[in-house]
Amino acid sequence: MLIPKIFATPNLPDTTRREFLARAGNGAGMLALAGLLGSEAGAVETSTSINPLAPHPGHFKTKAKSVIWLFLNGGPSQVDTWDYKPELAKRDGKELPGFDKNTGFFTGQVGPLMKSPFKFAQHGQNGTWVSEIFPNMAKHVDDLAIMYSCFTHTNNHSPALFEINTGFSRMGFPCMGAWVTYGLGTENQNLPAFVVMYDTLGRGIPKGHAQNWGTGFLPGVFQGTALNAQGAPINNLDPGKERSAAEQRAQLDLLARLNKHDLAKHPREAELSARIESFELAYRMQMAAPEALDVARESKATQDLYGLNDKKCGHFARQCLMARRLVERGVRFVQIYSGGMENERSWDGHSNIADNHSGFAKETDQPIAALLTDLKSRGLLDETLVICNGEFGRLPIVQKGGTGRDHNPHAFTTWLAGGGTKAGARYGKTDDIGHKAVENKVSINDLHATVLHLLGIDHERLTYRFNGRNFRLTDVAGQVVKEVVA
Amino acid sequence: MTRLPGVRTTCGALFSLVLTTWCSTTPAADAPVSPNHAREMSRGLELFKSDVRAILTTHCLDCHGGKTTKGDFNLVTRENLLREGTEGPNVVLGKSAESRMYRQVAHLDRPHMPAKAAKLPDDAINKIGKWIDAGAPYDKPLVETQVAKTKDRSVVTDADRSFWSFQPLANSTPPNVKANAWVRTPVDQFIVAKLDEKGIKPNPIADKRHLIRRATFDLTGLPPTPEEIDAFLNDNRPDAYERVVDRLLTSPRMGERWARFWLDLARYAESHGYEQDYDRNFAFYYRDFLIRAINDDMPYNQFVRWQIAGDELAPESPLALMATGFLGAGTHATQITANQVEKERYDELDDMAATTGTAMLGLTIGCARCHDHKFDPIPTNDYYRMVATFTTTVRSEIDLDLNPDQTKKAKADFDAAHAKVVQSRTEYETGVLPGNVTSWIASKPQPFGIPTDLRAGAIAALLSVPSEKRTPAQLIALTSYFREHDEAWQARDKAVHEHEKLAPKPALKKVMITSEGVPAIRFHTQGGDFLEKTHYLKRGDLAQKQGEATAGVLQVLNRASDGDGHWKAVPPKGVHTSYRRTGLANWLTDMDTGAGHLLARVVVNRLWQGHFGRGLVATPSDFGTQGERPSHPELLDYLASELVRNGWHLKPIHRLMMTSAVYQQTAEDDAARTKIDPENALCWRRPHRRLEAEAIRDSMLAVSGQLDETMYGAGTLDESMRRRSIYFMIKRSHLIPLMMLFDAPDSLVGMGKRQATTVAPQALALINNPQVRSYAKGLATRVLPAAKTSASDAVRQAYRLTLGRVPDSDELVATLDFLVAQAERYRADGKADPLALALEDACQSLLCLNEFVYID
Repeated sequence: MLIPKIFATPNLPDTTRREFLARAGNGAGMLALAGLLGSEAGAVETSTSINPLAPHPGHFKTKAKSVIWLFLNGGPSQVDTWDYKPELAKRDGKELPGFDKNTGFFTGQVGPLMKSPFKFAQHGQNGTWVSEIFPNMAKHVDDLAIMYSCFTHTNNHSPALFEINTGFSRMGFPCMGAWVTYGLGTENQNLPAFVVMYDTLGRGIPKGHAQNWGTGFLPGVFQGTALNAQGAPINNLDPGKERSAAEQRAQLDLLARLNKHDLAKHPREAELSARIESFELAYRMQMAAPEALDVARESKATQDLYGLNDKKCGHFARQCLMARRLVERGVRFVQIYSGGMENERSWDGHSNIADNHSGFAKETDQPIAALLTDLKSRGLLDETLVICNGEFGRLPIVQKGGTGRDHNPHAFTTWLAGGGTKAGARYGKTDDIGHKAVENKVSINDLHATVLHLLGIDHERLTYRFNGRNFRLTDVAGQVVKEVVA
Repeated sequence: MTRLPGVRTTCGALFSLVLTTWCSTTPAADAPVSPNHAREMSRGLELFKSDVRAILTTHCLDCHGGKTTKGDFNLVTRENLLREGTEGPNVVLGKSAESRMYRQVAHLDRPHMPAKAAKLPDDAINKIGKWIDAGAPYDKPLVETQVAKTKDRSVVTDADRSFWSFQPLANSTPPNVKANAWVRTPVDQFIVAKLDEKGIKPNPIADKRHLIRRATFDLTGLPPTPEEIDAFLNDNRPDAYERVVDRLLTSPRMGERWARFWLDLARYAESHGYEQDYDRNFAFYYRDFLIRAINDDMPYNQFVRWQIAGDELAPESPLALMATGFLGAGTHATQITANQVEKERYDELDDMAATTGTAMLGLTIGCARCHDHKFDPIPTNDYYRMVATFTTTVRSEIDLDLNPDQTKKAKADFDAAHAKVVQSRTEYETGVLPGNVTSWIASKPQPFGIPTDLRAGAIAALLSVPSEKRTPAQLIALTSYFREHDEAWQARDKAVHEHEKLAPKPALKKVMITSEGVPAIRFHTQGGDFLEKTHYLKRGDLAQKQGEATAGVLQVLNRASDGDGHWKAVPPKGVHTSYRRTGLANWLTDMDTGAGHLLARVVVNRLWQGHFGRGLVATPSDFGTQGERPSHPELLDYLASELVRNGWHLKPIHRLMMTSAVYQQTAEDDAARTKIDPENALCWRRPHRRLEAEAIRDSMLAVSGQLDETMYGAGTLDESMRRRSIYFMIKRSHLIPLMMLFDAPDSLVGMGKRQATTVAPQALALINNPQVRSYAKGLATRVLPAAKTSASDAVRQAYRLTLGRVPDSDELVATLDFLVAQAERYRADGKADPLALALEDACQSLLCLNEFVYID
C-alpha cells in the first residue's frame, strides 16, 4: 500500500522551485506586494497579488506575533465586571439627573440607578477590584493591562460590532483581523491565517454576521475563516470517502505533471507556479487543520485546566484550547465570540443582569484564565496578545421592567494581556457611577492603533488604496495608548 | 462653505488686520475683552518672537501645517490656529488652561503632544501657556509662503477644470503610423504610435484556437464548444474572426457576463445588511434589467439615466423602473434607534451619491463629506448638493406589470371581441325586442312571477296604463322587465357577462424600485424613512448643520452659463417625485456643458479593462488627480467620441476593440520588452488573465454538460444550483463561499476592479468541494462512452471540451498512465466501476489546470 505523502514537496521545475524557496525563505513573501506595508507611494488599486498571505515583517520589531481576541458578545457591563463603583451602590435607586433617554436601546424603559448585584474584592499586587463572577480571572490581574475608559459611537449591536471590528459603524470595511493578516501575512501556510469561532451551542452568530470578520475592500483572502459550529470545522477540508489518500495523491500528481508541462510554455508567469504550489499547500492543509483543531491530543491535565469536560464551560474551553493550538502553530489572528445572537443568549443582559452575567461568566471565566496560564507556561504569552472586551458597555441605571441594564456606548472596559503589553497597567477612568469614560478616554481607533502597535505596525502606515483613497483601520484618527505598552 | 475669515493679504498686513478683527471672527468672540488687552498682546508678541515661534516651529509645525496637517490643526497662521476643530476650539484665547493645545502639550489631556516625541521641557510649556493667555499673537506666519500656498478648495476655478479628465473630449484622430501590416483598426494606430516611441514591437496575431477561446470567454464568460471551435477553424473567409465576434455579441450569454461587472460597481445585493440582514426578495429585477439592457445594447446614456431616474423618465416602462434598483442596492440599516436615525440616513444618502460618483464618473465624491476634497476640485458644498438630490429617495416594493405591451395588446384583442358580443345583444335590443314588448303589452298579460312581488304590482300598474298615455320612461321600465323574462335576450346578455370575465388582467409582480412619494421599505426604526431636508454639515458632523442644501451638480463638471439651473427638471403636475434625479441624470449625460464627456471616458475605459485586463486609466473608478493618468489619452478620447457618435451603443465599441490587432496578439512574454514596460501598459502583449469566480464556476458547469441556461428571475442560495452564477442570490450575510474564495466582492461598496489572488483554500475547494466534484463527474459522464472503446479518445474529448484542443503526446501519455494506475487502485479497493472513477479524477484534474482558468 502506498503511504500518503503528507508533506510532499512541491513538484516544480528547478528554477521555479529555487525561486519559490528563496522568496519564502527570506520572509518577504512570494512577490513584493505593492500596496502592502510601507509602500504607500507604490500603492495601486489594481495590483495582482500572489500569495498575499506569505509572512512579511511589520514596520518595527515587537514581541507579539499572534492575537487571540476573546469577544464577550452583546455588551458586558463594566460596572458588574471590572469597573468597581462604590458610588453607584450609594446612589442605588436614585434617578440619574440629566440622563438622555435615547442613550440606550429601549428609550421608554429608563429606570433609576442600580448597584451591581455582585460583590467586588481586591486582587493582585496593586489591589485591582474584580467582580465575584470572575474568580479565576481574578488570579491573573497582575498579567492584565486594563483600560477602563473605552467608548464607542453607537448604541446598537451590529453598528457597534462593526465599529469595534472595523473602526467604522457602517458596513463595508475590513476588520482588524483582515488588516493584520494583510499587514503581516501568516506564519503557517498550512492553516488559515485568521480564524473565527462563534457559539457552538446553537445560540446564533454575532449580529452583523460574517461582516464582523469580513475583508471589506481588501482582497478576499484576508477574510476570517469562521469554523463551522457543526460538522467539519472548515469547508472543503474533507476529501470525502470516494478517494483514498493514495488516490487523491495520485490525482494531484497528475495535475502537477500536466500543469508543469503547461508552465514550460510560460516560464515567466509567476502566478502560474504559485497556483501550482497552492494545490500542494491545500493538500497539506487538509492534514494540518484537523490536527491543529484536535483538542483530544491535549493531556488530561490541560483539558481539565480549561474545563473541557465541564458542562457549563466545556464549549468555550474547547475554543480557547483550539485558539492556543492555532497560535502555537503560527496562525496570526484568532477571534472567539462568547455568546450567541439574541438578547439573553449573549452578554446582552437587558432583563436580569445578575443571571445573565453570572451565567456567561461561568462559561468563560475558567477557560480564559486557563488560556492565560497555559500560554504563560508554554512561553507563548509573550508573543501572543490576548484581548478581551465587548462591543459596548451597559448603563448604570436599571432597565425598567426588570433588573437588567440597557446598552451604553459611553463606557466599557478592555483588558489586554501578553504580546508586549504592560502587565498590571491600569488606564483611564469612568465617572463615579461608571456611566461615561471621563479620563484618558480610549476610542476604538485608539484601541486599534494600540493593537497594531503591539504587533509592530504603525497604524498610519498600514494603508490600502481603494476607490481613489488610502484607507486605514484607524481612518484619520487613533493614538497608541503607550501606557499599556511595556 | 467655511471660507477662512477674509484675510489674504501680505504677511505684514496680516497681523494688524487680525489684531483688529479677531474679536469678531473667533470662538472667543463672546469673551469680554480684557482692559489690558493691548498690553497683553504686545507682551505676547514679544514672547512669540523670542521663544514661542521657535518652539512651535521645532516641535509642532511638521505635523500641523508644515509637511502635513494632522487632526485638521494647522498653526502656520493665527487664522488657522483659531479655526475650530472637530471637537471645538484648539485655543481659547486668554485661557491656556481651557485650550486643548496647551492641555495636550502639558500632558493634561490625551492625545499627548508632540505625538511621537518626548514631552516638551516645562519652560517651553509655560511659554506656550503664557502666549495663549496673552492672546496668541503672531508677528507673521510660521511659514512665509503659506498664505500664498493655501488654496481655498471651496471654489472651483477654470484651472481646476483644465485637469485632463474634466476637459471636453479632444477631437482625436488616429495618428499616422508607418505602413504596417499589423495594424487592423484605428485603435491599433494609437497603440503602435506609442510603441514606436519606445521602440517596442507588439506580438504577432495569435492562432485561431486562442482567438476564439479568448473572444468567447471575454464576451460570454464561458468556453467555446468544440463545435464552435471546429466551425471557426474550418471557416477560411477573411472575416471569419469578425463573424465570431459578431455572433458572440448577439449571444444572450453576453449580458449574463457583463452585467456582473456592473453589479460589482453597484454594490448589488439582495438583502439589507446590518442587524437582521432581511432579504430583498424583489431586488433581482435590477440584475435582470442589466442583463436585458446589455443584450439589447441599450444606449449607455439611457442606461445611466434610467438607473438614476427611470421612474421619472419612463414611468410606463417596467425596465426603467427596474433600473432604479441601482440607487437602492446599497445596505440599509435596520433596527435604527432614535439617536441614530439622522446618521443612518446621511450614511444612506452618502452611499447613493458616492456610488453614483465612482460607478459613473470615476470620482470619489464621498471624500468631500467632511472636508473639501483634498485632491480633487470637489468642495464639500458640491457634495451636499449632490447628496440633496436624493433627499426624498427611498426603496419601495411596488406592484408592476412587467409586460405592459402584451397587456395592452391583450386588452385591445379582448375589447374587439367583446364589442362583437355586445353588438349581438344591442342588435337584438334594437331589432327584435321592441316588437316583442309591444306584442306582450298588447296581449294584456299578467306580470310574471309571484303576484305578491312588489315589483310585479308596479308592473301591473304600468301595464294598466293605456298605451297612448304611456311615457317613454314607463315603456323603458316595461321593456327592461320583459327582457329579463325573454330567453333570447337573456342568452345574449349572459354571453356579454361571461365574456367580461375573460378580460385580461395584467400579471402584477412585486418589484423593488428606488423612487419618491412611495411607501418606503421600513424595518424597526425609531424615526422617519427620510429627513425632509438635507443640510450642509460642517465636517460631516450632524451637530453642525449649516443651512439647507438644495440639489445641484459638481461645479468642476459644470460649464453651463446658467449654472445648476441648466439641467433642472420641473416635475409635471400630479407626479409624486421631485425630478431632482432627472436633473442629475440630465447633467450626467450632457455632452455639451455637463458631465457627459467624463461619463463616456469612464465607461469605455471599463470596457477596455474588461478586454485587456487593465484600463487605459489603470484606476477605473478614480479619474481624479489621485488616480492614474491615461496611458493613451488620445485613444481614450477617440473611443469615447466613437461611443457618442454611435448613439452611445456599447457593442460597436466592444467590436472595435476586439477586432483590433492589439486584442488579437499573442500572450508571449519577453524579457527585453518587459524591462522597458513591465506593466504592459503599452499593450505589446496579450495579458495572461485568470477568470473571475463566476466564469470559473460557469465554465466547469458548461463543460460538465450540466449548465442550465434558464435566464432571469429570483436567485437562490443553493450551491447545487445549475444556472449561471449571476443567478445566485446575493445575501450579504450568506455570501456564496465558492464565489468569495475566488475574489467576488462582498457587495458593500462599489468595486471597479477585482483582485485575482491565489491561495490554498481555492485549491482546497477545487479538489474537495462536493459541487466541483459533481462537475468533474458530469464531464466524466460525457466522455465515458468513448472510454469504453478507447481511453485515448475519451482523453482527447475531455481536452477538447475543457481546453478547446487535443492533448499533445506527453499529456496524453501522462493522462493514460494515470487512468490505468488509478483504475487499478480503485479495483484493488473493491470499487464497482474503477475506470469511471479514474476518469472522474482525471476530469477533475483538468478542471484544476492553470490552462482552464488562465485565458491567454
